[in-house]
Amino acid sequence: MESTKFTDRMITMIMKFVNTKAIIALKDGIMYTLPLTMVGSVFLLLAQIPYQPFNDFMAGIFGNNWTDPLFQIYGVTFEIIAFAACMGIAYVYTKNEGFEGLPASIIALVSFLGLNNSYVTVTGADNKAIKVGSVIDKAWTGGKGMVTAIIVGLLVGYVYSLLLKKKVTIKLPEGVPQGVVNQFTALIPAAVIFTGVFLIYIFFKVALNTTFIEWIYKVLQTPLQGMTDSIGGVIITTALVSILWWFGVHGAAIVLGVVQGLYTANELANQAIINSGKALTIANGAHIMTNQLWSGYVAITGSGLTIGLVIAMIFAGKSTQSKTLGKLAIWPALFNINEPVTFGFPIVMNPFMFLPFVLVPVVSAVATYFMVRIGFLHPFTAVEPPWTTPPIIYGFIVNGWRGALWQIVVMAWSTVAYFPFFKRQDALNLKAEQETLEAEQGLSM
Amino acid sequence: MIKIVLFCAAGMSTSVLVTKMEKAAKEKGIDVKVEAFPESQMEKHLDGVSVVLLGPQVRFMLPKAKQICEPLGIPVDVIAPQDYGMMNGAKVLENALKLIGKK
Repeated sequence: MESTKFTDRMITMIMKFVNTKAIIALKDGIMYTLPLTMVGSVFLLLAQIPYQPFNDFMAGIFGNNWTDPLFQIYGVTFEIIAFAACMGIAYVYTKNEGFEGLPASIIALVSFLGLNNSYVTVTGADNKAIKVGSVIDKAWTGGKGMVTAIIVGLLVGYVYSLLLKKKVTIKLPEGVPQGVVNQFTALIPAAVIFTGVFLIYIFFKVALNTTFIEWIYKVLQTPLQGMTDSIGGVIITTALVSILWWFGVHGAAIVLGVVQGLYTANELANQAIINSGKALTIANGAHIMTNQLWSGYVAITGSGLTIGLVIAMIFAGKSTQSKTLGKLAIWPALFNINEPVTFGFPIVMNPFMFLPFVLVPVVSAVATYFMVRIGFLHPFTAVEPPWTTPPIIYGFIVNGWRGALWQIVVMAWSTVAYFPFFKRQDALNLKAEQETLEAEQGLSM
Repeated sequence: MIKIVLFCAAGMSTSVLVTKMEKAAKEKGIDVKVEAFPESQMEKHLDGVSVVLLGPQVRFMLPKAKQICEPLGIPVDVIAPQDYGMMNGAKVLENALKLIGKK
């Protein structure tokens, strides 16, 4: 009784957090970057195939610059990901408030650009600095602009919706066509927001001799990225996802919804190290915790790394429930989907399963972290296969044969760790099944 | 025709259930169309829908789902965790039909 009350309270708390307008907008808005990173990955992968004879062959046919067009697509996807995040977040926020999202989205993009410099400084042949105008500095429109993109997206969505709600808009006389009225609706909110951007730009330029975007990067994004990338951060995030799932709530959607932008920024920072011609090593500042470490080594075969349970069910299951569920769960598991296991075994609210469900992924996360640290695996680049890519293939794409091998090790660990817990649950199921059977036989007699 | 739509976080695990439900409906000779989508796209997929079911892992979405669906006269409920886990298509279908009946 007490425990259900506690559970209900927990879920209400989680619900409150997840259902805040800002979190929903952040989570759903950042989803708009998905086609960019997923498809951009393919082009990046082709440009960086780690097999020299292939590269020589291609260069022999198409010339030494054969990868340029591939990097062109990388440049227009990954390097403008902050635009997409900023527009997506403002769009979702405004739409959820009941207004048309696109005008807010466009205003958010302009605001984001307005907080960045419209020039870059380069050094000429005579070692003098030359200011080049009329450009968008892509240094800040990719991973390094992520946190600013989130802030601007949320703020613009909020202010725009607020002004519309308070009807701070231009009122046109009746009889003016609705299409025209719609165009005028965004005028005052746009004027208010752009004035704000103007003032912020001046403040950071004059008072701090920097831009908003650079300042946020320094005081907010770098420490946040460092936190996601620290061993403590990795343990907490991993444990939290499992704990939420144990309560029956989609932990990954919630926790990753919040930190995914930072994981993406981490892997883009890694890619920037490679693109600058340096080796991707921890010494050169590479980040360890990225989306790939998560999808490939922590949530592989589903949150909680439950492949071990599925294997045990298939090969060692004695109860009918285990045997049936094992056969059912194996196919989705190969594509990293495990709701049949979490709800069917069940893991959710099952006191026996709490410990392994939290520990198995945490141990895997920590071990993988150290595998990157000691150099067995290289830090992850921006190549990111969809999370539904089957294990071993996923590992191979992101880290070659070592990546594939390490995924096998991780799955073996899952099997060993879950086994004793499985045995206990299976025995309970078997006993329950036999009792039901006996009761039925008793009735028919 | 009865149209049932399932929503979960990404529309992935529910899609397994879709096949099971369609199979169950075929066996019973009921004309049903079942589809699965991510919950974030709920508003886009409600045309001609008879009933909406949520995966238990997104049951925290229920108040929002009710807010969206009930004005349209579409009943909403959360799939029972056990049925979801065992991918019990027949049972989920049965409950869905019950919900429509209550409308």
